[in-house]
Amino acid sequence: MISILPTAFIFIAAALVLGLLPRGHVRGVILLITPILAAWQIWNLPVGIFVQVEFVGQTLDMMRVDKLSRIFGLIFCLAAFLGNLYAWHVRDFIQQIAALLYAGAAIGAVFAGDLITLFFYWEGTALASVFLIWARRTEGSYHTGMRYLIIQITSGVILLAGTALLYRETGSITFELMTLGSLGTWLIFLSFGMKCAFPLLHNWLQDSYPAATITGTVILSAFTTKLAVYALARGFAGTELLIYIGAAMTLFPIFFAEIENDLRRVLAYSLNNQLGFMVVGIGVGTEMAINGTASHAFAHILYKALLFMSVGAVMLRTGTSKASELGGLCRTMPRTAIFCLIGAASISAFPLFSGFVTKSLIMDETANQHYPIIWAILVFASAGVLSHSGIKIPYFTFFGHDSGLRPKEAPIHMQIAMGFTAFLCIFIGVYPEPLYALLPYEVIYRPYTMSHVVGQLQLLCFALLAFVVLMRTGIHPPEIRAVNLDVDWIYRRLIPTLYNIIYAGVAKVLQLLETLVNTMTQLLVKELYKLHGPETGVSRMRGVGAMVIWVAILLGIALTLSYF
Amino acid sequence: MDLNKSDETSKFSPLGKMLSWFTKTKNANNIFLGLALLCFLLFLADFTYHKHGHFHIEEIPGFYGAYGFFMFTALILVAKALRLLIKRPENYYGDKAIDGEDYPADQLEQGSK
Repeated sequence: MISILPTAFIFIAAALVLGLLPRGHVRGVILLITPILAAWQIWNLPVGIFVQVEFVGQTLDMMRVDKLSRIFGLIFCLAAFLGNLYAWHVRDFIQQIAALLYAGAAIGAVFAGDLITLFFYWEGTALASVFLIWARRTEGSYHTGMRYLIIQITSGVILLAGTALLYRETGSITFELMTLGSLGTWLIFLSFGMKCAFPLLHNWLQDSYPAATITGTVILSAFTTKLAVYALARGFAGTELLIYIGAAMTLFPIFFAEIENDLRRVLAYSLNNQLGFMVVGIGVGTEMAINGTASHAFAHILYKALLFMSVGAVMLRTGTSKASELGGLCRTMPRTAIFCLIGAASISAFPLFSGFVTKSLIMDETANQHYPIIWAILVFASAGVLSHSGIKIPYFTFFGHDSGLRPKEAPIHMQIAMGFTAFLCIFIGVYPEPLYALLPYEVIYRPYTMSHVVGQLQLLCFALLAFVVLMRTGIHPPEIRAVNLDVDWIYRRLIPTLYNIIYAGVAKVLQLLETLVNTMTQLLVKELYKLHGPETGVSRMRGVGAMVIWVAILLGIALTLSYF
Repeated sequence: MDLNKSDETSKFSPLGKMLSWFTKTKNANNIFLGLALLCFLLFLADFTYHKHGHFHIEEIPGFYGAYGFFMFTALILVAKALRLLIKRPENYYGDKAIDGEDYPADQLEQGSK
């Protein structure tokens, strides 16, 4: 019974039912039950391929269950549950529907056994999620949503093009391990890379996530990019190029995050950096590295959601997420502050928190496979994570200089959502075995060794010390109201400016041409007038009598000639 | 929004009072010294066990501490320099971005303690 319905359809069915129900708590309950039902189904499904459909001569595998798709399916259900719990107060129908369909599409994509099914769900995530941005209902969010949608849809179109080329080449649409080489595989790689926020393709993430609604950002943070991580792990595990791409991804966002004022954008940069660790794991591609990527994605979805939740709660109470306007909120929002600190400790990978037991799988395997420079970059990036997510987010929101704001504590349902997520972050950190058991391959790894714990604590505590020293000496850059340029400047400023210049240029040329044509025509008309106008010889009036004489003369000549 | 900057701690919950300890200027030195002491102890801890890293550099006592301290400092300095290049006014992208606009008040549940 449970194997005849693709998990995604549970979400779609729930979205259809939702509209028939009265507003309020009933809808809220549906939003919570749906992911639980889905998780129950995923948990109970055996490994295998279910629900095959014929579609234009192809067999589509709607439900491919194996250990890799299962762990992503489960964490997506958990993320949908936590996000919807956090959004319990939201009565906006559009956001509720979007949250359901978005989670459903992401889960559908994870279980897609072929590239066509993947494409449908891939675009589904794009279409559903943009409403979480538009639901803010401001001019800015409308334009941001448009930019987001164009990029996401483009990624899907490229995926479809790649699939078509691959099919022509191999005759198969099965979504399995690929080797970069043909144009088709490169296009699929590029499509995954766009959604995974590869360097230079990343900026839709930092542009759009801060523009979504408070609860929308929490939901957005879980799915799209981790779906891309899953797709890369499925399709391109062991592709060495990914190691270098991933290392670059861990590196560059930490500088931008450091000087960004909007804390939700700081978190988006931080998300990008965390994806880098996962991408490195995929590139290394060994069983332990893929385990590292899958477990890190699992832990990351939780602590990243927790951080977005805590900043969102502050935003709900104060109306802003800008570091320059916040500070000192631990006085009246102490629980939110503690939840935020737990998220911060988890992402910074302090021992006993979730990031520690998952990230170290990737880092150790990178070292095991002898990538010393990549390893050194990852250690540096770990200190960087501490700087923006571990310190900046909690410090400039809840501690630091007193903004004078005394907001109320977060609403109770938000506290429950944050508390539960925080509990999971600590639980995974203290007792990682259940998570390890879910991983695609067998885990032979002990995160808690003396050298590992002391090494990590040294790294983090000395970095913290550096922060304190820099703050006390006034070297640490202050939080100021400003935006920072990034790659999106190219399509938000440069291209529109160039377009305007070119447009103006072309318009000028056209105008000149028009003037030229007009002048020429006028000249022509004038000349014609001179020749054929009423005063000229050609059109002068002549008397009828004169004409008759001339005709008579002509006829006389003709008559005379006819005699010869 | 209540902008009464009151440190009348009686209004805060017990947890809030506890956390506000960290924000007091007079405690800043203690926090700094405590952290420095912790770092020193962690450095000493490196001598208590046999280090087995993947690379030789990991076996130097205090390697992680030094790396963390200097790379963190370098990160901040580079980021500060980067800001000189890429910083723009908040309304740089005008009404096509959310940076210059307020979050819609009807979607907030503001309130002060």
